[in-house]
Amino acid sequence: MMNTSALPSMLDHTRRKSESDAAHPLLKVENLSVRFDGAPAGINVVDDVSFAVAKGRTLCIVGESGCGKSVTALALMGLLPTPPARIVGGRALFDGKDLLALPDRERADMRGNQTAMIFQEPMTSLNPVFTVGDQITEGILRHRKISKAAASERALEMLRRVRIPAPEKRMRAFPHELSGGMRQRVMIAMALANEPQLLIADEPTTALDVTIQAQIIALIHQLQKESGMAMILITHDLGVVAEVADEVVVMYAGRVVESGPVEDIFADPQHPYTIGLMGSVPSLGRRQGRLTTIPGTVPPAELMPRGCRFSPRCPFADQRCVSDPPPLIELSPGHRARCWYAPLELHREPIR
Amino acid sequence: MNTQASDIIIESTGLVKHFGGGGLLSSPTIVRAVDGVSMAVKRGETFAIVGESGCGKSTLGRLLLRLIEPTAGDVRYEGRSILGLPPNEMRKLRREMQIIFQDPFGSLNPRMNVRDIVGEPIWLHGLAHGAEKQERVADLLRTVGLIPAHGERYPHEFSGGQRQRIGIARALAGEPKLIIGDEPVSALDVSIQAQIINLLEHLKDRFGLTLVIIAHDLAVIRHMSDRVAVMYLGEIVELSDTDDLFDDPLHPYTQALLTAIPVPSPVNRQPKPLLQGDVPSPAAPPSGCRFHTRCPHAKARCREEHPRLEAAADGRQVACHFWREIQNAGSGALTAPPASPALTKRLALYKTWRERHDKTATPGL
Repeated sequence: MMNTSALPSMLDHTRRKSESDAAHPLLKVENLSVRFDGAPAGINVVDDVSFAVAKGRTLCIVGESGCGKSVTALALMGLLPTPPARIVGGRALFDGKDLLALPDRERADMRGNQTAMIFQEPMTSLNPVFTVGDQITEGILRHRKISKAAASERALEMLRRVRIPAPEKRMRAFPHELSGGMRQRVMIAMALANEPQLLIADEPTTALDVTIQAQIIALIHQLQKESGMAMILITHDLGVVAEVADEVVVMYAGRVVESGPVEDIFADPQHPYTIGLMGSVPSLGRRQGRLTTIPGTVPPAELMPRGCRFSPRCPFADQRCVSDPPPLIELSPGHRARCWYAPLELHREPIR
Repeated sequence: MNTQASDIIIESTGLVKHFGGGGLLSSPTIVRAVDGVSMAVKRGETFAIVGESGCGKSTLGRLLLRLIEPTAGDVRYEGRSILGLPPNEMRKLRREMQIIFQDPFGSLNPRMNVRDIVGEPIWLHGLAHGAEKQERVADLLRTVGLIPAHGERYPHEFSGGQRQRIGIARALAGEPKLIIGDEPVSALDVSIQAQIINLLEHLKDRFGLTLVIIAHDLAVIRHMSDRVAVMYLGEIVELSDTDDLFDDPLHPYTQALLTAIPVPSPVNRQPKPLLQGDVPSPAAPPSGCRFHTRCPHAKARCREEHPRLEAAADGRQVACHFWREIQNAGSGALTAPPASPALTKRLALYKTWRERHDKTATPGL
């Protein structure tokens, strides 16, 4: 599997110009807002979301069901179903171009080429009536002017690169003949076949068993190191975040509540939601009493407060939190939290 | 937490369940879902069964409750075999042994309102009637953190966590002694999962229940359970007290499982030795030790000779020819990173504010 140095040569040479500037973000999302038709006025499913990813870096978006993490990803990929979802504000600058303003045609040319996405359940993303080899080959032919034989050769090389045993045989296999872990490897092979600069992975290991999850995470990490692509990994699993992230964005009910370098998020969590979430995860060490919990559930759109959306579940919340939306405050370089009372120990006295 | 060792509430001996290979219409390949499982659950403990997809853990759970009939072997509940019981006696017994399913969307009847769903076992077992029954239903809903007014609603009107609470209320309605939870929290979001784990622990203490938790999430298991059985391809490969298992895993499969868990700390990231390949099909389990195809320590003997579950120190059991040597290799113990000082401080603050909040607002678990 170490024959990766030979790979990039056969692909196009047109996308190498941005390589020089690693500090410059490859993707810069600014104030993205998405609205569902019929939602109450002013309640966006994704609200004023900003973040950036640089080449070779991994940004993890963490949050629970309904936090807007998948909608954000679909908006970036141009895969939002409209209606009901509509982008109502913001920009997403990719290599200087605003992805959200591109015509559909150009968007389709980028998808699976400069940008690629893998999903939680590979079976719903693979076509059951075509062989694995045909599907990867098709993706390559869509974006490259090469012969079918060369594309097929490239597909085989990708299967080898994602460490699928007996790749020649697997080329002719149908998706249902593969295990969950193997299907996810096929998805990864397909997503990376055109050497994207940005990979968006939406819960890529959630449906997999622990030992297979560990294999897939290690594989994605290795491939990213080899190719230098940027990655947005969407997950609910703080363990996965700790293992792969460089930067973290914590989302709650459509808003970014905390963001920063991964070390800061784990060593110095600031938002009450982040703190509650960390307390909710059972420790791998010896038991230390009952879990800390976040009470209640995410409110439905009709009941979403105007102010901080976490306020109905937050033990620290007061009237100000309910009525005034807190800004994202920078607490240390690059580390921001959307809370009126961060850092909590300065604003919230211990009580007996 | 444990009572005396002799007080066994439910046990299985040589339990086997094979699917297929039977009549004209069934598949000719035999799937060995559960293959010779012997284990005993003590009264009052939380016993966990852990393993990956296809290891037979859910089938074992259903066999223990006799929701499916075994191919061979025996299940004894409070000392007597339940396999030969006639239907009416079995029905009486079902009151005492309940199950909670993973999918709170699929396990509640969508055409029944919550009052009827929770009230059905009370009616079925003739535990109460009329106003007394309604009072019990209201009590049960309060017990699981819902409000009695929710009784008028239907399952689709609830979130996943609330539906799981309804499922738990229904399981409690017959005043059970034993509850088997088949992945009871794995379909839930992290914050909701924590609520349900705490609820189950609270109910266990309050009603003196015995819990059997079937799960794949090792952190949940470490948190909740007193003892753990690790399954691989239909067999128990290790059975041990929870802390011993996590501090000093004996079987190479247990070691691999623990190594594979993502560690929730970004400091000292290191590549880890990982198991290669997939779990073989339970329709064609490997010869000898079933784990030998993926085991980093496998030797010739492992391919030929099937290891028996043998006794180790501290009441532990392990099915491996070479567990003594492997244990000394010192691999696999889980070192959980401590929470950061800032997190510890803020979590403590969070807890005190939550407690105060709970006293003033509506109670919830």
